[in-house]
Amino acid sequence: MNTTEVVELGTGSETDDKMLVHARGVTKRFGGLLAVNNVDFDIPRGSIVSLIGPNGAGKTTFFNMITGYYVPTTGDISFDGHDIVSPGRRGRVKSLKPHEVTALGIGRTFQNIRLFGTMSALDNVKVGINVHLQSHWWDAILRTPGMVREERATVDECMQLLKLVDLDHRSETWARNLPYGDQRRLEIARALATRPKLLLLDEPTAGMNSSETRQMTDFIRKLRAELGLTVLLIEHDMRVVMGISDRVTVLDHGEVIAEGLPAEVRANPRVIEAYLGRGAAGES
Amino acid sequence: MSATTDTVGTGITGWLGYIGGTLAAIPSQYRTALRQRRRNTIALTILFIVVVLYPAVGHYVLADFSRRVFPLPLPDDTVSTFMTIFAIMAIGLNIVAGFAGLLDLGYVAFYAIGAYCAAFLASPHFGALGINLVFLGHVGPGAAGIHVPFWLIMIVAIIVVATFGALLGAPTLRLRGDYLAIVTLGFGEIVPLFFRNLSSVTFSLTLGPIVISLANVNLTGGVQGINPIDPPYIPILGWVFDARSGPMAVYLGLFLLAIAILVARNLEHSRIGRAWGAIREDETAAEMMGVNTLRTKLLAFALGASFAGVAGSFQASYLGASTSDFFDFSISILVLIMVILGGIGNIWGAVLGAFALTYLDKSLLPYIGQRIGDVAPSLPNPAEYNFLIYGVILVLMMRFRPQGFLPSRQREAELTVHGLQDAEREMGVEVETDNVDITPHGQSETGSGARDAETTDEARDL
Repeated sequence: MNTTEVVELGTGSETDDKMLVHARGVTKRFGGLLAVNNVDFDIPRGSIVSLIGPNGAGKTTFFNMITGYYVPTTGDISFDGHDIVSPGRRGRVKSLKPHEVTALGIGRTFQNIRLFGTMSALDNVKVGINVHLQSHWWDAILRTPGMVREERATVDECMQLLKLVDLDHRSETWARNLPYGDQRRLEIARALATRPKLLLLDEPTAGMNSSETRQMTDFIRKLRAELGLTVLLIEHDMRVVMGISDRVTVLDHGEVIAEGLPAEVRANPRVIEAYLGRGAAGES
Repeated sequence: MSATTDTVGTGITGWLGYIGGTLAAIPSQYRTALRQRRRNTIALTILFIVVVLYPAVGHYVLADFSRRVFPLPLPDDTVSTFMTIFAIMAIGLNIVAGFAGLLDLGYVAFYAIGAYCAAFLASPHFGALGINLVFLGHVGPGAAGIHVPFWLIMIVAIIVVATFGALLGAPTLRLRGDYLAIVTLGFGEIVPLFFRNLSSVTFSLTLGPIVISLANVNLTGGVQGINPIDPPYIPILGWVFDARSGPMAVYLGLFLLAIAILVARNLEHSRIGRAWGAIREDETAAEMMGVNTLRTKLLAFALGASFAGVAGSFQASYLGASTSDFFDFSISILVLIMVILGGIGNIWGAVLGAFALTYLDKSLLPYIGQRIGDVAPSLPNPAEYNFLIYGVILVLMMRFRPQGFLPSRQREAELTVHGLQDAEREMGVEVETDNVDITPHGQSETGSGARDAETTDEARDL
């Protein structure tokens, strides 16, 4: 954690320091469609924050803007004292490239599993660590001692990560040949290999049964406890969201309609309306 | 961990690694890796024997024998040398197309640039312009034109060609798939045309005190090309071998090929190789995992091109001439067919494909043509229909063995229908035949199966 660095940079007050992610006025427009509209969003360090909302609410779009995959139409996003999205020249928005964001310390998984199917589980994790490796292509060609040492350390670190997700016994299996739940966990291991401070999980329990879901939520808690991670979660399963989150933000039609503790959000009539329709909100 | 980092070396190191690996206790999960390693070692040993003995004695000893036993021609020195040249190119293209998954249809351009590097740096050509430079060469002092030793040419060719690879890649690698193929195709057409037509250049450029002025200068020799080019002289222990003819040329080619194989293999098993694999599998996911995709693809392009630079400059030195019509578009396709036939993504496959097709192209088909000509002169000569024959071979190959002679592990899995189940069986995992994509463990509860199918579907949005 670069807490000292943030203080030295002097970008702001104490609140900035407590917040790992600081997003202001983030808007994304796809042609005529306003996918995300003027969203303010903060993620406190060390917390588990959930982003929920009906299908098409803009959750994944927001994810993709934090990770640099989409450039927002307007807005600012800073992460750990670094600007991810900032005002550029001539009124345009300047955004870091996804690999630069990853290097800063944001790891993510995907809603539809996107592993490198015909690479081994170990190699998948190794790709995640790539961004922190120092050796160059000429080191690779010459097999310099530094490169060999680095490769060995990489294997050790990746095997530890595979052990953490309980896949160390299948390190040589191709990712596509792993069972579904293992693939989900391998994706998390790969994201962890980027040495993130913030882990973005896009529906980590999708397609899982209740016992697997429980294991996954325990695992996410364990990640925070043991690795000191901050977690941002997109999730549809309300039991997961309510059970695990410190704070919940609800998006609907690209706008934040509620934000707060899980219990507060659950009781919020606008949230019920968004999920169940106007009639249901009136009844409650 | 040694098994996973793959320490298969060539020759002696390969043997030592093999013996060391066998002596060590073998955890069961590395057994597959070891089996692969043993297979590689055996292949390497056979290859080593063939490589050392064949060029020296094979042609003279076996030729007579083969003429009596089976009616096929053996590759002579020239064909053997061309085998190594094309194998080097196939390895280079395999880096671009096989490792990184970028379809390059203009690979011949880099081959041509490499050849003209040798032509410019080791021929009397520029003597006509009054540029005479003999540098460390084996050509007598005072000779007309530029004469630079072979190894230096090779290094220059690598640097120049890699630079051109990067120059072509920088604007085009933002394109994906078909579009990249089209642009590279254009590049492959343009470069040989440049060499063909830069035979009377009039050009002037003033950069402050430096004035470059050319008036009707023959830069590339036009259609005639440039010749003679100095042969590749190799100094060994005070002796200087002329590697233009005989087994020496084959040995030089094999030496360059061995280096090419080693370099490609080392690149494959490094962070760059893994990044290439990730881009080939899923470019977007690779980018999100911190792979600088543009830089990595550029590196694939430049490094892959440099192999063609080696092949081109060796070829020009070997033949002693460089003409533009040698660098036809069909060479790009030929090398691509070599890579595909051999098994795209596999270095040894590329070598095998190059050997087989070069043999077919330069030895077997002309021989058959000659035989047919002897018997029935009115029948068509198959050597003139070589691309028709390659086409048929390619179609048959795609039908019966799409993964190539020596498939890479990845490509085999992608292309064989039952590859997945075989792989699973090899891993000792039970396969549920009705649900091949995923083998659910304790996932019997309602709805999960349907959801699985949906989520593992190839949805391209994030």
